[in-house]
Amino acid sequence: MNPIDLTKALRRDAAFDPAALERGKAALMTMIQQEVQPMRRPTIVPRLPYENVGAALSFLERAFGFREVPTARGVRADGAIDYTMVEFGGGMVGLGAQGAHGAFSPKTVGTTTQYITVDVDDIDTHHERAVASGAEIVSRLHDHLREYRVYEALDLEGHRWRFLQWFR
Amino acid sequence: MSDSSDAEVIGRSLSEPETFGLIYDRHAATLLRFLGRRAGAKIAEGLVGELFRIAFERRKAFDPSRETALPWLYGIGSRLLLKHRRSEARRLRASARLAADSQPTDRRMGAAALDARVSISRVADAIDSLPDEEREPLLLFAWEELSYQHMAEALELPIGTVRSRLNRARAHLRELLEPSGKKRMKPR
Repeated sequence: MNPIDLTKALRRDAAFDPAALERGKAALMTMIQQEVQPMRRPTIVPRLPYENVGAALSFLERAFGFREVPTARGVRADGAIDYTMVEFGGGMVGLGAQGAHGAFSPKTVGTTTQYITVDVDDIDTHHERAVASGAEIVSRLHDHLREYRVYEALDLEGHRWRFLQWFR
Repeated sequence: MSDSSDAEVIGRSLSEPETFGLIYDRHAATLLRFLGRRAGAKIAEGLVGELFRIAFERRKAFDPSRETALPWLYGIGSRLLLKHRRSEARRLRASARLAADSQPTDRRMGAAALDARVSISRVADAIDSLPDEEREPLLLFAWEELSYQHMAEALELPIGTVRSRLNRARAHLRELLEPSGKKRMKPR
């Protein structure tokens, strides 16, 4: 009674669908394509300082529809997010713990020194989502001349975001 | 590129990610069969996708001195299987039922196994009750026929550790299968 032979007696193959291999390959190549894209990053990438990067990230995803860049995240020893990146359309913004690179959150210093403009496809839906997620609207949704429709909101640490949709 | 080693292909995939598709072409069928044997075809298809996603993301960490990436891929698969222990256990018992039914005609069983008054379902239970760190080398060795060197690469352990774990697995199985033996490993 050899344990190895007994184990071998239980070896049983599972019939696999040959198409499963093709499906797996297609999924892998799609994934590789998506992973490759963030490497072709925009030439200018702003980085925003936050007191709490993790909370900022979930707010930006929830309220503004930004998406975290896979693999961008850096985590501290205590498990908190140290920095990460979010993307939206063809743009990208870094989020990082404040203090690094001499930059601080508006929540800490009490003022903003810049704001970021983001083009969106459907400003009304975007606005609704931001309001529903508790973003503080600091410039109400309105048409600016005949050029674009715009609103401005603060994120949860007071960074100012200007969202607009151009008229054709 | 098609006659390059896995290490060369993976090295190249760092700057040309699409090249990694070649690693899939070379090894996906083997891994799909491996995962299928362990967890069933359905789970295997999902796992092979996850396996290659992880491999792609970690390709930078692949040791370029290794001739083939297969053991490394086996290792990723082994760790993924830990989340599917229940399916594995179910499948092992189903295999035992099948093997018991076909015992007289299955040449792999051999007379020795029939002589041993061990029902094949007890073997399944015994394998299932081994600790993960012993079950994995046992199945990689007996089912996948990996060499010690390749098991060591897959499990990221020194070769001596693999050897001793496999020996422990053998000893545990013997113990669990003793006709009179009531010794049980910790219940799952």
